[in-house]
Amino acid sequence: MNAALFDYGAGNLHSLGKGLEGAGIAVTVTSDWKVALGLDALVLPGVGAFGAASRALAPARDRVRDALAGGLPCLGICLGMQLLFDGSEESTGAGVGLLEGHVRRVRAKTVPQMGWNDVDVSCDPLFEGVTPLVAYYANSYVCEPVDTTTIIAWSEYEGIRFPAAVRAGHSWGVQFHPEKSSNAGRRVLANWVRLAGGGR
Amino acid sequence: MLRPRVIVCLDVKDGRVVKGVRFQGLRDVGDPVELAARYEADGADEIVFLDVSASREARGTLLDVVRRTAETLFVPLTVGGGVRSAEDIGPLLRAGADKISVNSAAVRDPELITKGAARFGSQCIVASIDAARNGPGWRCYTHGATRPTELDAVSWAAECRERGAGEILLTSIDRDGARTGYALDLTRAVADAVPVPVIASGGAGGAQHLRDAFVEGHASATLVAGILHDGLTTVRDLKSALGKWGVPVRTDGDTRTREDDLTAANADTGNDQGVIR
Repeated sequence: MNAALFDYGAGNLHSLGKGLEGAGIAVTVTSDWKVALGLDALVLPGVGAFGAASRALAPARDRVRDALAGGLPCLGICLGMQLLFDGSEESTGAGVGLLEGHVRRVRAKTVPQMGWNDVDVSCDPLFEGVTPLVAYYANSYVCEPVDTTTIIAWSEYEGIRFPAAVRAGHSWGVQFHPEKSSNAGRRVLANWVRLAGGGR
Repeated sequence: MLRPRVIVCLDVKDGRVVKGVRFQGLRDVGDPVELAARYEADGADEIVFLDVSASREARGTLLDVVRRTAETLFVPLTVGGGVRSAEDIGPLLRAGADKISVNSAAVRDPELITKGAARFGSQCIVASIDAARNGPGWRCYTHGATRPTELDAVSWAAECRERGAGEILLTSIDRDGARTGYALDLTRAVADAVPVPVIASGGAGGAQHLRDAFVEGHASATLVAGILHDGLTTVRDLKSALGKWGVPVRTDGDTRTREDDLTAANADTGNDQGVIR
């Protein structure tokens, strides 16, 4: 098993790569969609701005959507989760459009949301063995799926409830950072690797 | 519910962790990679490396330390000290830092915050402010708290936020290393005025001081260093006390993985610390 870790050119992919490798999947960091879509699974990491990521996605948007709709296992983290939707208030540019809906700025007093927050999880296998869950967030935007049945976990920030995780087929998106959420986060990564068909 | 954070700070000089009192008299306390991993295991919510190396040559050493730390650390890592321009930020992030803290260079050139936030996102730019009591307010200092500026801490914090800083790391020079408690008035003044998370720093002597910073100082996080490095307490004990006082910090019990259960089942049952293992 080999997962593509897509590099939009923004920041730290180190811990995520190590977390995935620790869960038993080889990781190829790439900025080339042809390479990324040819591997066994796709990880869209969580560092950077929507606009830049959208520009990186633009030439391959339809191919990425078709691959994910066709069953290529995917994990989108934070910005990577937001990228699974149609678009974002953060900037112009389209997302993958696998999930219908938009990304909105958090209407809270203190933004970004920064720190560990409770995650109210469903029985999705992504969360097997990690209930209850407290995970690390660093976000100013949240997703608003049109189809709320895609939401598999919720969190609350300053009284605002928002989707902590979504799922569409073999694609999962998490708003928190599993690679920064210590042992619990590593377990979520390991669960995803197993769901993607890899792992030990 | 967002949890109040306990952040462990390691001052790093030429690749080693050092600790001084009031920015003076540094002594060696260990290997940063090893200490960071140990503090994560003990329950630290984040780790901060402040590079206090005097020379520019130590930069390569720091990047190497960050790279090696990021390979084993699974909580956020902030790196600060010696960030002079927006060009210094990218290499640290690529080496494995999640956030970069800026201090003296941002005072000299506030555009550093604007550019850094625009390029890498607000969530990874931390404005570090060293302040000391000055009449009714607080004056900002730079260069390891040696150079006074004309900036007032509250208004400078507000400007940092407007320019895109995602967090304020607020150190009281008066309290740093003194272990008499955080400067609650300073912390509260900034936390109430600026709508980004404020990390209280300088003065932690025990769990009560952390509680006061959260409850009375309105801090989102507390920075702890010396009392941990000296072995006076542990992150686990601090959080255990905070939990008992109703401060909802993250503890092992919040996320119980199957591995934890197995460990607990196999562990010596002579533990009398109650719900927090």
